[in-house]
Amino acid sequence: MRPQMRAGEIRTAAASDAASLSAGEGRREAGRGSPRSGLMALSVALAFVAVGGQSIRLALRGQDEPTTSMSQAVPTSFARPDIVDRNGRLLASDVEMPSLYADPALVLDRDEVAEKLARVLPELDEAEVRRLLADRSRRFVWLRRGLSPKLAQAVHDLGLPGLAFRRELKRAYPAGALAGHLIGAVNVDNRGLAGIERHLDESGSVEPVHGATLSGRAPLRTSLDLGAQHALDEELKAAMRRYDAKGAAGVVMDAVTGEVVAAQSLPGADPARVADLMDDSRQDKLTGSVFELGSIVKMATVAMAIDGGQTTADSVRDVRQPLQAGRFTIRDLHPAGRPLTVAEIFIRSSNVGAGMLALEAGADRQRAFFERLGLITPIRTESGPVAAPLLPAHWNTIETITLSYGHGMALAPMQFAAAAAGLVNGGTRVTPTLLRKLPGEAARGERMVSPETSRVMRDLMRRNVTDAAGTGRRAAAAGYRVGGKTGTAELPVKGGYRQNAVISSFLGAFPMEAPRYVALVMLFEPKPTREAQGHVTAGNNAAPTAARLIERIAPILGVMPAGAPEPVDDGTTVVDPGDGPAATFEAPVDAGVAGFDGVGDAKY
Amino acid sequence: MRMLIVSSAFLALASAFLLYGLNYETRRIEANLQMLERAADKAKTDIAILKAERAHLARPERIEPLARTYGLVPAGRNQLAATGDEDSAGGR
Repeated sequence: MRPQMRAGEIRTAAASDAASLSAGEGRREAGRGSPRSGLMALSVALAFVAVGGQSIRLALRGQDEPTTSMSQAVPTSFARPDIVDRNGRLLASDVEMPSLYADPALVLDRDEVAEKLARVLPELDEAEVRRLLADRSRRFVWLRRGLSPKLAQAVHDLGLPGLAFRRELKRAYPAGALAGHLIGAVNVDNRGLAGIERHLDESGSVEPVHGATLSGRAPLRTSLDLGAQHALDEELKAAMRRYDAKGAAGVVMDAVTGEVVAAQSLPGADPARVADLMDDSRQDKLTGSVFELGSIVKMATVAMAIDGGQTTADSVRDVRQPLQAGRFTIRDLHPAGRPLTVAEIFIRSSNVGAGMLALEAGADRQRAFFERLGLITPIRTESGPVAAPLLPAHWNTIETITLSYGHGMALAPMQFAAAAAGLVNGGTRVTPTLLRKLPGEAARGERMVSPETSRVMRDLMRRNVTDAAGTGRRAAAAGYRVGGKTGTAELPVKGGYRQNAVISSFLGAFPMEAPRYVALVMLFEPKPTREAQGHVTAGNNAAPTAARLIERIAPILGVMPAGAPEPVDDGTTVVDPGDGPAATFEAPVDAGVAGFDGVGDAKY
Repeated sequence: MRMLIVSSAFLALASAFLLYGLNYETRRIEANLQMLERAADKAKTDIAILKAERAHLARPERIEPLARTYGLVPAGRNQLAATGDEDSAGGR
């Protein structure tokens, strides 16, 4: 303000200077000449200053955000992207929900607050509320996170001072427990605890936000197919009822890319209930536990024998005599009574034959081949590490024999399913993944076995289903060329194995001439019900379950039915003794000493 | 001189009015913007909830029994055919 005024004075002085060349006194005369105009000039100048000042103020103010935030500076929640299935159907999403908090300093009567709140929110612990409200130095305590709008209104209507709401993000799982184990869960702050939810946190897709700002990120596209997942869930539940089983598990995996299109472990887990994850009985049987898998491991044994050029599918082994190893005797439950070809050893699931093939290869080659199949090294999927394989402490003759038919080593079913996919897909390694792979991204894995070995394995697996003596006859799905291998493993208990308490499984692929999917079905402790023809063996429960499953999901997955009509087992044929409990009834009881007490304990 | 003073006084007054006018206009627009932002947030929240609700209603567990009451069944092998394979698609 001052500089302008002085400038004005000087200008007037300069004007009068030009008019008269009088002395300094004259100049002062001229300056004072019209006090009114000076005053006017001053006030106009002041007005301009005021206008200028105001415009500067507005200009400066306009630069910061027009909206101001009333929330505190620390992030209050975490925004997560949606999780969708391979076709974009929603599996998990954030929704905004009010959460109730209290400012103890503003609460007038904490007993009244606790009582009234408990009436509206019955599951609220009254004593806990009193305790929280007792400390008046705390200005913020959560009382209840994630209320429904209706309950929030009811609490609001109580009109209690000191209570308020903050809007928060809560995770919603529209599909419920359908894919609970895979999706995982989040904690109360919306951070991932397990499964794909934790993968989201670890991959940096979760952003801290103030209040309830929804994530702007693109949804995470999983490899799951909700339709196939539902079909698997239903078929497993039906099988549990039909065979009175304690649990069931199944996985359907792309035979080349390893994409898991459906995976379920029953009893299931609801992602909305964190407690389910901690519950041992609901543990994910596919990736969270290891089991002795039984005869399905013969796939690996026969592949080893053929891939090494050690034998061909048609060469003959004399399996009539039980196998002696030290003080152990391994025998078949239903001996063939004649020498069998390697193909027949696989198809009839002969323990003696598998043991002989393993002994011919020797422990070192067996171990190296299992390593090549990816059965020795622990693996991981996006939902975390898969339970590590439990290997025998010593890999001697007896272990070589028992490992050949799937005992003495405990594996996560998901890990073996991936190895089996590699055996049938032309011989390249498969890494299970829960994320969708675009056609271009899915490169084939490294070579595991030769294409020829893979072709022979496909042929043997197909024959296991079509052959009259095949253990997997009941896996013949109408219209689809299914092939596979059955396995009935006795459950180990301390000091041995439990008679008639088994895990029965069927590991198959379809369509068998060029497999697109590998399917594993497992039933835990099935009973010899009428539907299972009074047996607990996989050929009578897991195999027919696999057939139903494949008939149902193949159309969903767009697998074309086979052109020619298939021989279909109508279920009325008499149970062939050769169909028997495949591997394991006798041998493991003897071999149970192989250092495996309690491994693969029934976890359900 | 007088003219200069009077006109500049007028100018100052006019720009002051203009400025205050602008100021109020700005505030109004700001308020409007805030309202729109809130509406957009609300809409986003509603969309998220509706999306979740729709997915919940469309969950296979619920749809399957409903479909079955209308006599619908899962697609079977007889309903699939490759292009050029229409004749044999009838199955057995």
